[in-house]
Amino acid sequence: MTRTSAPGVRVKDLTVVYKTPAGELPALGGVSLSLAPGTITGIVGESGSGKSTLALSLLNAVQPPGRIKEGSVEIDGLGNVVELTGEELRRARGRQVGYVFQAAQNSLNPLKTVGKQLLDLGRSHDFDDLPALLKDARALLGRMGLDGGRVLDSYQHELSGGMRQRVGIMFALVLNAHLVVLDEPTTALDMITQAAILKIVRDVHHERGLTTLIITHDMGVAAEVTDSLAVMYGGRVVEHGPTTEVLGSPRHPYTKGLIRAIPRLSGDIDEARALPGRPPTLGTIPKQGCVFRERCPMRIAVCDTVDPEPVTRDARTVACHAVGRPATPIVPKEYV
Amino acid sequence: MKTVVRRLSGHLARGLAMIWVVTTLSFVIIRNIPGDPVRGQYEKLIEQGMSPDAAERATAALYGFLPKGSLWSQYVDYLNGLLHGNLGQSLSTPGTGVATIIGSAAKWTILPVLGGTLLSFLLGVTLGVYAAIKRSGKLGDALAISGSLLHGIPQYVIGLLVVAVFSTLWPILPAGGPVDIDFAPGFNGPYIASLIQHATLPVLTYALASYGGWILAMKSSVATVLGDDFIMAAELRGMSRGILFRYIARNAILPLFTILALSLGLLFGGAIFIESIFNYPGLGLLLVNSIGARDYALMGGTFLVLTVAIVVANIAADLLYAVIDPRVRKGAEA
Ligand SMILES: Nc1ncnc2c1ncn2[C@@H]1O[C@H](COP(=O)(O)OP(=O)(O)OP(=O)(O)O)[C@@H](O)[C@H]1O
Ligand code: SF4
Ligand SMILES: [Mg+2]
Repeated sequence: MTRTSAPGVRVKDLTVVYKTPAGELPALGGVSLSLAPGTITGIVGESGSGKSTLALSLLNAVQPPGRIKEGSVEIDGLGNVVELTGEELRRARGRQVGYVFQAAQNSLNPLKTVGKQLLDLGRSHDFDDLPALLKDARALLGRMGLDGGRVLDSYQHELSGGMRQRVGIMFALVLNAHLVVLDEPTTALDMITQAAILKIVRDVHHERGLTTLIITHDMGVAAEVTDSLAVMYGGRVVEHGPTTEVLGSPRHPYTKGLIRAIPRLSGDIDEARALPGRPPTLGTIPKQGCVFRERCPMRIAVCDTVDPEPVTRDARTVACHAVGRPATPIVPKEYV
Repeated sequence: MKTVVRRLSGHLARGLAMIWVVTTLSFVIIRNIPGDPVRGQYEKLIEQGMSPDAAERATAALYGFLPKGSLWSQYVDYLNGLLHGNLGQSLSTPGTGVATIIGSAAKWTILPVLGGTLLSFLLGVTLGVYAAIKRSGKLGDALAISGSLLHGIPQYVIGLLVVAVFSTLWPILPAGGPVDIDFAPGFNGPYIASLIQHATLPVLTYALASYGGWILAMKSSVATVLGDDFIMAAELRGMSRGILFRYIARNAILPLFTILALSLGLLFGGAIFIESIFNYPGLGLLLVNSIGARDYALMGGTFLVLTVAIVVANIAADLLYAVIDPRVRKGAEA
């Protein structure tokens, strides 16, 4: 029942809303994104841009008060997960899709040892060979620089933040899922450990032939490990393409701003310029027009009224009125 | 293990301090009550023609300390007596030691209180989980409301209601005394059946008095655990429903053990009212009667034993907590 090859993932027109006192507000406003089989895709974007919401949608696990309002998430071998429910959905989670969630430092039951929880996981997914599962877990932990045997005998409170994150990664990989989603998997780690862990994630990805999605705040991490890169802003994917190209020749004004803001990538500290303004929150995402226009240096008239559709050219998808088009008012119908 | 010992010794120290305060208080009360019962007794005996020596010994036997000498040496004598299990003699039942009277009353309080607590704990916790999970359902609502209602009613009112319903309106159970006097005491069917019949209403009252609190506490505890990150993580890993349920239940029950001690203490205190209502010969009734009879030695002794019971309940609840929570058991800061 487990796939032996990397699945492709196609997210289409996904709208996810959260219920707030001001009504249901969209955290994802019709996002489309494909993960090619066998690749590592990165998602970057400021806090609140909807990265975690998108990642959770891949497991149909958006938490109340949120819900998937529209759209589909097709995963090879699973079908449209938006329509999965009950046991079918539970079995897909963990076994088909491994997930490291953002608060991975608190992802363990405080009353049980890591090893016991691993056995619980094995039983939940009907593993017959539990000793082999423990052995795999020890090996994975060992690769990430931990004493596997000791960690399995430990309770959460006996592990440091960085150790817990690595345990979280182990849980996502140990069942041999072929789609792995990591939401900020290395935030609690120092630079050196972070680099080492990312290398292991990449190695395991290649060894097993996975499809991997990594969410990160850190452009450096994205540059290091990903094959393709999606940039999110205000619940939209504003640019998506091969990582080297997106970082080397960004097209969307937001991507350009992000890259300029990072000394390491822009090359010169003097040239690093922080992006002016603040990212929108659920309540302040504009209901019409481009979500980025308040902060955009290239804003034109049409940006105030028409939300730019994503357009794909030479393997690059960009959603901006000013990219590759004349900077004059445009009739929206042309782009629908 | 070290933390457990540390916590335990902390509890023990606090418990001993509490016991010391209670004993000292009852010494001060007995010694300072208008009319000074100790002195009064001593003088009464002398008037009755006893020699001062004999009167002194008789009074000492009655109160557990000598009426002569400085207040301080009387106090030391009194504490010393207590340490040797000497609680003095009862005034209202001459010739009987306070310890003996308390000993025979204690079982009538401790067993019903423990039984009632256990019953309400099991019921309240189970229904609390249900109320938390079915928060929006009708039954869940009803449970939560019944919990808040019961929680707000004072114990003695519950006791009176129970009497009114089960022995007046719908007389199916006895509401007076511990057992029918028609049956010969011993290990025989009719006697035991009568014991159980008579215990039912007091136990029910204890259970009802604390059950509302358990539902509410468990409901809010489950709601908190449901919002914890690790539950979501377990869901995202596809843990089976049974395992998920166990994760939730065990984590949610944990904080309730701290309330268990509190609840036991409250019920021991409530025994004063409840045993009066049911004319049940436990420590509570004993305390009430000793106050009525101005039997100060008995009063002090009963008070002391009730205090010890609360302290012991505290320590037992804490030990249970430690057994379940590895953070306490293994002694980490987290
Ligand atoms: N439970 C919730 N209730 C209401 N709004 C929510 C909830 N969870 C997320 N949101 C909102 O949805 C938007 C997207 O949140 P999301 O967590 O997906 O962002 P993110 O890109 O992962 O941010 P971060 O980098 O901080 O993790 C934010 O504006 C956030 O405030
Ligand atoms: S659509 Fe307009 S406002 Fe939005 S990014 Fe492009 S130029 Fe800027
Ligand atoms: Mg996030």
